[in-house]
Amino acid sequence: MNPRIISANLVVKLRSFYREKTAMFFTFAFPIILILVFGTIFMSQDNVAYHLCVQDLDQTNSSAEAVKTLELNGKFKITKVDPAVKAKQYVRDKRVNLVLVIPKGYEMSLMQRMLNDLNASVTITYIYDPSSSSVDTKMEILNSVLAGINQKMSGKPPFIRSVQRSILTKTYRFIEFFVPGIIAMAVMTLSLFGTVDSNTELQQKGIIRKLSTTPITRTDWILSNILYQFILAVISTLAMLLVSYAVFNVSLHMDAWLLVFILLDVFAFVGVGMILTRFVKDAQSAAAAANAISFPMMFLSGTFFPIELMPGFLQKFAKTLPLYYVNEGLRASMVFEDNMAALSYSAVIGVFAAVVFILGVIATKWEEGE
Amino acid sequence: MTKETEYAIEVDRLTKRYGDLLAVNDISFTVGQGEVFAFLGPNGAGKTTTVEVIETIRTPTSGKVTLLGMDVTKKKHDIVPRIGVLPQGFSSFDRITVRETIQYYSRLFRCMNTDIDGLMELVNLKDKTKEQYKNLSGGLKQRLGIAIALVNDPEVVFLDEPTTGLDPRARREVWEVLLGLKKKGKTVFLTTHYMEEAELLADMVAIIWKGKIIAMGSPGELIESNANYLLLTLQSVDEKVFEIVRKMGFEPVLDNHKKIAVRVEHTCDVRKILNAINDAGAVYLGLDVRKPNLEEVFLKLTGEALREDSPEMVAK
Repeated sequence: MNPRIISANLVVKLRSFYREKTAMFFTFAFPIILILVFGTIFMSQDNVAYHLCVQDLDQTNSSAEAVKTLELNGKFKITKVDPAVKAKQYVRDKRVNLVLVIPKGYEMSLMQRMLNDLNASVTITYIYDPSSSSVDTKMEILNSVLAGINQKMSGKPPFIRSVQRSILTKTYRFIEFFVPGIIAMAVMTLSLFGTVDSNTELQQKGIIRKLSTTPITRTDWILSNILYQFILAVISTLAMLLVSYAVFNVSLHMDAWLLVFILLDVFAFVGVGMILTRFVKDAQSAAAAANAISFPMMFLSGTFFPIELMPGFLQKFAKTLPLYYVNEGLRASMVFEDNMAALSYSAVIGVFAAVVFILGVIATKWEEGE
Repeated sequence: MTKETEYAIEVDRLTKRYGDLLAVNDISFTVGQGEVFAFLGPNGAGKTTTVEVIETIRTPTSGKVTLLGMDVTKKKHDIVPRIGVLPQGFSSFDRITVRETIQYYSRLFRCMNTDIDGLMELVNLKDKTKEQYKNLSGGLKQRLGIAIALVNDPEVVFLDEPTTGLDPRARREVWEVLLGLKKKGKTVFLTTHYMEEAELLADMVAIIWKGKIIAMGSPGELIESNANYLLLTLQSVDEKVFEIVRKMGFEPVLDNHKKIAVRVEHTCDVRKILNAINDAGAVYLGLDVRKPNLEEVFLKLTGEALREDSPEMVAK
């Protein structure tokens, strides 16, 4: 290993990257765009208000009061539907997914109940479009609001109450859980595609062959690549954290674990990239192979959605993916500040990175016959 | 351990196989110190395989190759700093400038005192120092490749097809650089399929065909021993000329451009042919008499043209 040779190679790589403005822009912009898009979605979900159409067929003070109660709940923005129109037709024509219908005689039934007629009741109808993905959530919220009203009318305090206590000392929003996942994914993409693209291009152009007639060794070459990918990964991570903080006020715990996980992520996926390069002949096949590996990994290892949402067998599969351990490790250190968990995740990804990296080194062609 | 030897390169019964393909078949030759040695042959003859074995990139199937007194299969790390290589189809990092590229390779060789300006002057790239590699023409790229091959002031320089794919002007520019190396007394191992390149630059030429060396010697010796005749070319617009020459017992060859080539033993044969044409009142526009070149030597030895674009007008 020769530091002078490694630094010479590193300088050439950084210069090439810096001068390729388009590649540089997309390398750093892609994860930032993801953070901005998903961040905006998640932030608005925290204060989400559903659009609810209400048709009041009773047109009394009591029914108007009931509509007001729904509005005051804060979860709904109410649109009043003309009692003269047919609710089903309204759903179809206006392309809304739900109309809540307060029946005629609502106030009368309410009065009877107030006078202790326990048989008096009223049926509220949901006219809904089952093809809409959010309609179930809407109906669940409505049911819980109506249950609250029923409970209140009973005049007795509830027997079972609930209280929420977070295991974290700070209150986090979903975006704060999301950012470490995006960091893990961005570093994976950077390392995998960076290695595969660069190695296939240099091999195709014969530059590797030329280098093999100079004193640079395979170890020097690979170490300089690792260092290069690590530098880009750190810059990209800092950019993501900065944008998250500036736009969404995301504040995460940062310590040495962040660098450890970035480094292990780099080692693991540079290793995978080196193995892929051995088996693909040209840059196009290399990109396809890298996509085939990175895309399932992105969606199945808990970067975008919690793996608890997946079927059982996919959850088991997710836990075999290296990116899962980087995701969880980064969350353990940056969100939960749990060093023991971070240590155990780093051990798993560390073993994977070591094995894959060694295989990658063996797979890297430097001289004929290797 | 290295031993001083009068030969920079010694190849003894080298054979190289790729599976069932016999690329190089039991060849032997030596290259003297300070000599320009041209390895001449058509595409696929085994030139690059041979040079890559000598450069330590490939391992021989059998035979022994010694470079600067060291076995190439055992002393790669000692050999590499002492050689310079311009590989076939040389390429470099697209967005790195000429100066930065030379600096980069210089640092790989751990050369503290490389005269980068001197190298750029040698290959005539001084006005292109800030130009990125991707913006250079084919000839400039090859010249940069030669400069890189010289960053470590090597004792032996390998140039694998340095002018292939270049236009005639760019080729001549590269030849100028190679003549400069020759003047500096470098040992140069040149592979080429351009016979004029070998004739112009080489002290010694080995002709390789189908993995075998079929002739070796100085260009003059090869021509003298394999093509001891004169070549008369007549630029004719008159079809009668062909018949006149043929009837005289010669074997003229007519090409598409109405040129006739005739192989003759002596200058008096030229005179006889010209007199016969004049006597018959036939017309030709010009003539050329010259000694054969390595192209004709190769043709005579193999029955094939050295290059696909070779003129095929020469009589067999």
